[in-house]
Amino acid sequence: MAFTSAVPAADRLPVTVLTGYLGAGKTTLLNRILTHEHGLKVAVIVNEFGEVGIDNQLVIEADEEIFEMNNGCICCTVRGDLIRIIGNLMKRRDRFDHLVIETTGLADPAPVIQTFFVDEDLRDELRLDAVITLVDLVHVQQHWEAEEVQEQLAFADVLLLNKADLVEEAERQAIEQRVRAINPMARLITTCNADAPIDQLLGVGAFELERALSLDPGFLVEEHAHEHDDAVGSVAFVEERPMDLDKLGTWLADLVAERGPDLFRMKGIIQLAGKDERYVFQAVHMLLDGDFDRPWKEGERRCTEFVIIGRELDAEGLRAGFNACVA
Amino acid sequence: MTAAQPLVQERLSGELQQAITALSWSADGEFLAIASAGGELLLLDFRAGCEELLQGLGNASLDAIGFSADGQFLMAVGQAGELLLWELGGSGVRPLAFAPQPLGAGWLDAAVWQPRGLLLAVAAGRRVRLWDGALRQWRPDSLELPGTAQALAWSADGKRLAASCHGELALWQPTAAAAPPPRRAPTGSVGLALAFSPVGELLACGQMDRSLLLWPEAGEGRPWQFSGFPAKVRALAWSDQPAKLAPALAVAAADHVVLWEQRNRSEQGWQPEPLLWHQQRVTALGFAPGSRLLATASADGSVGLWDGRGRLLQALEGEGQGFQALAWRPDGRHLAAGGDQGRWWLWPVTLPGRPRPRRSGGAGFG
Repeated sequence: MAFTSAVPAADRLPVTVLTGYLGAGKTTLLNRILTHEHGLKVAVIVNEFGEVGIDNQLVIEADEEIFEMNNGCICCTVRGDLIRIIGNLMKRRDRFDHLVIETTGLADPAPVIQTFFVDEDLRDELRLDAVITLVDLVHVQQHWEAEEVQEQLAFADVLLLNKADLVEEAERQAIEQRVRAINPMARLITTCNADAPIDQLLGVGAFELERALSLDPGFLVEEHAHEHDDAVGSVAFVEERPMDLDKLGTWLADLVAERGPDLFRMKGIIQLAGKDERYVFQAVHMLLDGDFDRPWKEGERRCTEFVIIGRELDAEGLRAGFNACVA
Repeated sequence: MTAAQPLVQERLSGELQQAITALSWSADGEFLAIASAGGELLLLDFRAGCEELLQGLGNASLDAIGFSADGQFLMAVGQAGELLLWELGGSGVRPLAFAPQPLGAGWLDAAVWQPRGLLLAVAAGRRVRLWDGALRQWRPDSLELPGTAQALAWSADGKRLAASCHGELALWQPTAAAAPPPRRAPTGSVGLALAFSPVGELLACGQMDRSLLLWPEAGEGRPWQFSGFPAKVRALAWSDQPAKLAPALAVAAADHVVLWEQRNRSEQGWQPEPLLWHQQRVTALGFAPGSRLLATASADGSVGLWDGRGRLLQALEGEGQGFQALAWRPDGRHLAAGGDQGRWWLWPVTLPGRPRPRRSGGAGFG
């Protein structure tokens, strides 16, 4: 299934999805976004009003409702409540500049993300800017086994390691390593009271293909020596030899058909045989999107970088499949 | 493309500050209510030639409005999650507002008065509640649904109420003496638009999965399903003109309008006639009461007037605004439309082959 809309990205309203386990600081962050002097008119959809500025006209409550659009196919699972409420919201004359959607602490982020790619109306009117996940440095280790915690880490483009003032630095580093093993491509920001700079939260453009990949350089050098036995993890490949697009396409199509529900996100910058342009690629579950990007620069290291984040990944099998796509 | 004599030669119009979300006529055609995404509610009183802003610009959108069949009440629901009601004392009398009634079910966008009755059905989350205008209170019973109610429709006789949600269509007979339990039919998708035919007891349901379900017997039995629409089926309208079999049905999906005609009683008996002219999403459509003239409104800034065979008779322009709402006056001779920048229009429409209507209604609005 295609990922993109025929409507240019600049004409669509950017959407940020905010996730995080209970008590991680989502409300604090929302209130900062709503009161910060960033000059943007931000609308917020919350799962319950709670302590988020209720008198703000653009705070809207939505009750999570999952629609399975296609016989339970996981990539067609969307949030029906968002389709209805955003549909109503988009009738306004004075549109707002940015939409933030808060998910419940126990939510799987995938249906929210997929809503913006699967639904025909939202796809043409909005564009996903980034998934931001708040990590409660004090309590995250206690909840680590919760599936939702690992999914929220896996889907993130920006990870806020919050409440840094309440833990020892050694503890913070241990958590950072564990988080990195699950998600090596998100931007990590350490915060107290969710005090990240707003410009690193809104307008990230993480789902724009040209910004498809920003891997932690350290992560790639090690090429996977991550010993954590979490169910959710990641595999990254770096390949100097050019790849074959047809082989890669077939491999990925088979892979998502077979393992789609367990593949959370994939991103890659591909060096293709006989092409001067980079090929960039990303996926959310079974939604795939790829296109040619800018030419490789003079002196730039030409290589393929490819990351898969998912559940119960078979690193060796994936490595073999990937290697078979070398041209 | 236009007819020899244009159907529309003049217009009245006005402006609200926010986009128009809904338009509704009273049954006698003497009142027109106009709601906006900024919560404005304007009431035009044609007999008295005056207008009153029942609610001014606020923070919360109004999304569904309507007059009770007897013209006694006007209701409005929207983003604030409250039912707003006014009692109308007739032309020239100031409407009396009831205290807002919060329903605690988030944004309300579907509410419909019973034809020939005083029950108001309101979609409130996973329940459909009934406000009884005769008793001026909520009925204790409600229709429970497995998902959020997306659309509501009453049958023309006011006896059946249909409600759609993800996966299901429920049919309720809330006024039956020994009320049978609601009938529930699986739909496999999400019903976004519901309409009973004014004659012949058919029920149409436009679905998110780009299909149309049609029940021949008011929601009983097995529906026909027509797939292959280019997008969600988001608007439906039946003609009130009797035909040999079912009356004509117009359906909107993306920029397409499809006119359906029943030729025989088999599943293949339904003939689709695509009306391809709009450039962007068709947001509303409706047949003129008493004729087969069809009006279609689009976000592309045009309203099309079509004859019963799907020929475009006239195009009306929205002065740069996309259209979001449409409502025929019950006399079938005046068409109201609302734009996405807050402008509303009222066009006297001459029916093809008939004399022009006299300039009567609405002389006070220029």
